[in-house]
Amino acid sequence: MTQVARPAPRRLDAFELPSEPGNERLALARVAETVQGLGLSDSRLEKLKTAVAEATMNAIEHGNGNHAEIPVEVEVTQNGDEIIVAISDQGGEAPSAPKPAEEPDLLKKLDGGQSPRGWGLFLIRNMVDAMDITINGQRHTIWLTMRTGGAAHGEHV
Amino acid sequence: MASMCEATTRVLPGAAVIELSGEVDGSAADVLTDAYQTAVGTHADLGTVVLDFAAVDYINSTGIALIVSVLARARAERRKVVASGLSPHYREIFDITRLSDFIELFPDLDRAVSQLTGPAA
Repeated sequence: MTQVARPAPRRLDAFELPSEPGNERLALARVAETVQGLGLSDSRLEKLKTAVAEATMNAIEHGNGNHAEIPVEVEVTQNGDEIIVAISDQGGEAPSAPKPAEEPDLLKKLDGGQSPRGWGLFLIRNMVDAMDITINGQRHTIWLTMRTGGAAHGEHV
Repeated sequence: MASMCEATTRVLPGAAVIELSGEVDGSAADVLTDAYQTAVGTHADLGTVVLDFAAVDYINSTGIALIVSVLARARAERRKVVASGLSPHYREIFDITRLSDFIELFPDLDRAVSQLTGPAA
């Protein structure tokens, strides 16, 4: 059987941000710069930026409790045709995003049956090709995977 | 955190226009609430509120929540909300969240206003 050599995963960038509201904008800008030229279409790049911003916001607010001295760690890796962004906080078992009892339902939100908030994880899931969460001690990481040239949920290419 | 969102309002026959610029996130709550109040406050008979996003470069999940709150208030007051100037990315987010089921989307403000107020506007 012939095996095609697959390139080893390549770390493109790694950085930390203080857990301060608004710093998700820094994360999305830096990730966008890092993945420039790797083959993501403009629309898929916008999706990745939204997912990175939402995941970083959750890490800042819910994972690290807005404690500026606890950094959010961001790592960008390329593995074949996949771009993987790992965003880590120190929230441990505490969910780094409030887990709504049910999926966001706009009609319920409009009628007062659900809070208007609670869109973060829903947006992330709908923006990227895969979302995974790992917990190792206090370290809580959300993994966002976007394939170059692929199509995220509902997207036509 | 200081808001990076600004809003200007104007009232047309039958519709109020709120032109937003900057970033629609959680810090925009007061800006959006005040703009809505200014736009409709003295015009109880206004049937439509236009939210123009042409100069908005960022909307996050808390911004979506603010838009949901504006829509909920408008529906309670029996007003229609329409939106204009959304980028293709944010149009898709309006579709995913189903906001576009309740908010008619126009490519730009001119087309929204001309359709809402008629050729005499």
